[in-house]
Amino acid sequence: MSMKAHSVRALLVSFFALFFLTPPAGAVDFPEPLPAEPVPNVRTLPERYPQSWVFLNYASNRIELRNVGSDSRDVEGQLQARDSTTLLVPKNRPEIYTADTVWSRYTRGTRTDYITVYDTKTLNPIGEIVLPGAKRALITTMQGMFAFTDHERMGLVFDFTPASSVTVVDLIARKVLNSIDIPGCSLIYPTGARGFSTMCSSGTMLSLKLDAAGKVIGRRETRKFNDLDHDPLFTASAIVGGVRYFPSMHGIVQPVDLRGDEVKILPKWPLVGAADLPAHWRPAGWQIAAGEGDKLLYVLMQEHAHEGTHKDASSEVWVFNVDTKTRVRRLRLVRPGSSIALTQDASPLLLVQADQRLDVYDPATGGLIRSLNLPGFSTRMLIQPVP
Amino acid sequence: MNVAQIDRLAEKALRGFASRTSRRSVFSVLGAMLAGASALPLLPVARADAAPASDPNSGRQPPKPSGNPQDPGDPTQCDYWRYCAIDGSLCTCYGGSVNACPPGTEMSQITWIGTCRNPADQRNYIISYNDCCGGVLWGRCNCQRNDGDRPVVRPQNNNEVTWCFGTKSQSYTCSTAVILGAAIEPR
Repeated sequence: MSMKAHSVRALLVSFFALFFLTPPAGAVDFPEPLPAEPVPNVRTLPERYPQSWVFLNYASNRIELRNVGSDSRDVEGQLQARDSTTLLVPKNRPEIYTADTVWSRYTRGTRTDYITVYDTKTLNPIGEIVLPGAKRALITTMQGMFAFTDHERMGLVFDFTPASSVTVVDLIARKVLNSIDIPGCSLIYPTGARGFSTMCSSGTMLSLKLDAAGKVIGRRETRKFNDLDHDPLFTASAIVGGVRYFPSMHGIVQPVDLRGDEVKILPKWPLVGAADLPAHWRPAGWQIAAGEGDKLLYVLMQEHAHEGTHKDASSEVWVFNVDTKTRVRRLRLVRPGSSIALTQDASPLLLVQADQRLDVYDPATGGLIRSLNLPGFSTRMLIQPVP
Repeated sequence: MNVAQIDRLAEKALRGFASRTSRRSVFSVLGAMLAGASALPLLPVARADAAPASDPNSGRQPPKPSGNPQDPGDPTQCDYWRYCAIDGSLCTCYGGSVNACPPGTEMSQITWIGTCRNPADQRNYIISYNDCCGGVLWGRCNCQRNDGDRPVVRPQNNNEVTWCFGTKSQSYTCSTAVILGAAIEPR
């Protein structure tokens, strides 16, 4: 054997010794291996969620539960959604309700409309209420399609075929109670202790009072107050001090008090002062308004608005004191926003969906606190903070 | 060749390189390489991205004008005049046309209407946005234009409703924009 061959063999031997006999460098720092982990293993959530969590309804392919109160910005869970899916989250029960529509062969076959009852801790479906008549409204998910009444015992589902009706459901007994025709009217606004109002194409609001079995025991119609020809009210609204505030397309706001059985149409007032009129500021977006406590109304506002821009994103959020009917703050957004909401905790956060971002602001200063990516977002979003 | 020979060869080559080049010239070569890197997007793949859609290698659909000068524009694009109040996916991207549903779907006959101005003849037309239903479901060629759209309280003027009524399936696929006729001009 030549010297050269000998040294090559020695080199190879040292190489193998180095890589296979010496313990890896890290093992010196970590003498014990990682423990084996149990399977199966499914995470559970708290029975009551922190109020810094929100449901993000991607109209309409999924609903995501996200933590907006921490820089971790975690996704905490998801609920399935197929078509125009709507969500109700009660304050008083560890349950979540979604109303959805599926077909037996994905986009064809037998149609089923149904409410799923989920357990808050596991997000497992624990109940189901099938809605008869294949008539649940299939509309881009918006406020007013699914609402509570009777202290969260009843769920009200808006139907549109294009004849309008409301299906009344007992969410605790898990059964359908009634179907009520509301010809020429749309959407549901809970009214009184047990009942609802609906916006009618005649410019009025129709209010229906229900008995415990979901039967209509009172029916009243307001005067005409919604000028649908010239300045229609958005159907999106915010509650401040128990009163519902509907911005109009041209920038007035119409307060409506729905706390009693009789609807009170309160005096409307302008959102846009004389100084801002030349720049054509108007409310615009999707979920355009949010309320804080007894006084503050937040509205997404768009500059240089004109016909056809009422669902485009807006560059500012204006904050109004509803007692003095004046603007108290003007928040310039880092990105134009389409939907807004406020978390329901003692120090609320202002949430603004801006294309594929959810921006979290301090509502007192307008400062951006954090921003969450919304992967897969393509159309519109409803933001539903944990109550 | 043994290790010592390799050493000598390498040393010779490096010394030769060092004697022939200045530090400054090395920087100039590195600079040229950096400039070359910035020019990399001009290579064929990047050029295909920037190529016009009419280029068959662009990977994109070519423009599809209607061919009728009185019906100007491209019905595969959101800015086509008939789409002034459309909210949804264009059937022209799914195998249908501006006034026909794609194969495998069903056209809803109950629908909503908008009024759009034709830039060629300056007439307003009543446009019926008949939805096509029961076919594939995905968000290709999604357009949102809202001229004349009104809240769902007036559903006949609202583009958020899935207008799949009277069809076997109410699952939305895409939207057409059919001319119903010229609007009566206000006097």
